[in-house]
Amino acid sequence: MKTKPKILIIDDEEVVLDSCTLILEGGDYSVTTASNGLLGLKLVEDIQPDLVFIDLKMPGIPGIEVLEKITEINPTIVSIVITGYATVTSAVEAMKKGAYDFLPKPFTPDEFRIITKRGLERRKLMLEAIALRKEKELLRENFAAIVSHELKSPLGAIQQNLYALSGELTGIVSENQLAKIERMKIRIDDLLKLINSWLRVYSVDISKIKDNFSTISVSSLITKAIETIEPHAVRKDISVIQTVDESVSSVEGDEGSLMEVLVNIIGNAVKYSFPGSKIKVNATEKDGNIEISVIDSGVGIQEEELPNVLSDFFRGKTDQSGTDSHGIGLTISKRIIEAHDGSISVTSKANEGTTFIISIPGKK
Amino acid sequence: MNQNKQLLMIDDDPDFVEGIKSILDSAGYSVDVTYNPKDGLQALQAKTYDLLLLDIMMGRGAEGIMIARKLRKDPKLREMPVLIITGIREQMAFLFPGEPVHPRFVAVDELVEKPVEPKLLLEKVSTLISLSEARKSKTG
Repeated sequence: MKTKPKILIIDDEEVVLDSCTLILEGGDYSVTTASNGLLGLKLVEDIQPDLVFIDLKMPGIPGIEVLEKITEINPTIVSIVITGYATVTSAVEAMKKGAYDFLPKPFTPDEFRIITKRGLERRKLMLEAIALRKEKELLRENFAAIVSHELKSPLGAIQQNLYALSGELTGIVSENQLAKIERMKIRIDDLLKLINSWLRVYSVDISKIKDNFSTISVSSLITKAIETIEPHAVRKDISVIQTVDESVSSVEGDEGSLMEVLVNIIGNAVKYSFPGSKIKVNATEKDGNIEISVIDSGVGIQEEELPNVLSDFFRGKTDQSGTDSHGIGLTISKRIIEAHDGSISVTSKANEGTTFIISIPGKK
Repeated sequence: MNQNKQLLMIDDDPDFVEGIKSILDSAGYSVDVTYNPKDGLQALQAKTYDLLLLDIMMGRGAEGIMIARKLRKDPKLREMPVLIITGIREQMAFLFPGEPVHPRFVAVDELVEKPVEPKLLLEKVSTLISLSEARKSKTG
């Protein structure tokens, strides 16, 4: 059963209360009245009305205070003030204190009906917005579980069978046919990686990595990251050159996450570089910060796209190899570096190349 | 030499099971399968296995954990090596906060993520079995 909208009218003049009740009669509302602020506030607590009319000029607690208290009790209750002396200042003050609208006395029954309708409409929208926000929050929290099971399980099962199949078919089918299975495995692997990235963005609180910070050598971190990327670089005949200044020692951080950032950014550099080109990875110390720059001479980023690169889920349009790039990787990288109290910046020129600079505080 | 090794797999996804089983079959292992924790526990009571392949997220939640806990409490089953094959590693961190890579349920166990490459799978299975056998011969 749908409950009737609850309306409370707080006014010291009995004639106003009576006439208002009369106007709303037959309008399918439940109307309650109070002759002063104190009674009114008690009723607000008791019945939790949808809409409250408050006379600004009353003996006892002034209307404006009643309004403030109601907003404190429940900010989703819609309040409309009734002003006897229709001055703009008192109306404006009331609106500032949280009133949705004001109704100057004297008013006609129609004016009262219309403002009541609008007030209730406002309340409905507010409640809907709250419900939607809650739903969104719930969805975000459950995203990990939903994605992991509904998407990962079937993909995992497909991949596992492809693994088995390619083993069983070796020597039976042609190289060409095996290559097709190989292609499927690679694409499914990409999908699984993408889902894992999504899971990280939605369900893992990256700031928590702060709990397991340890001292990490910058040069060995870079070396390991380059080793991971090497196979991809070799395939495109790209050389990755590492230069670490002697002054660069170590940082406080989470090794796995920092590796992820470097692999991501150097991997992007490889992806967007022309075959046969070079990528430079330099590390220097600058004002107590360690700066790691990854410089490629690849396709670059269009000037107008540059501000979006590090914002959520940007994906570059110009992809040299035709492979899928995951703009999400940069989003995660940015969050990881920020969890290390550092920053990532990017400069680029279309057709000339891109430079990413990671800056994190050096270990003191 | 794998011919006489008896393996049990508990996983509620028959398609996934097929992909794992056929790799192990080809390597000469004899693999029994159950598709839910209840049947799995029954199988473990009825027969002695050289290794258990265990899924974590089954049924309504982490029902694999329940099996692992029961294994830990059972003096005989505690000696059986377990290879946990699970959907995500983060899940494990979530289920066992504070414990690093994977929890040590039983004397010999290891965790791999789904899907598992054949080479890695066979490597883990044979390592776990030999580790467990070495343990047994030591304790006599």
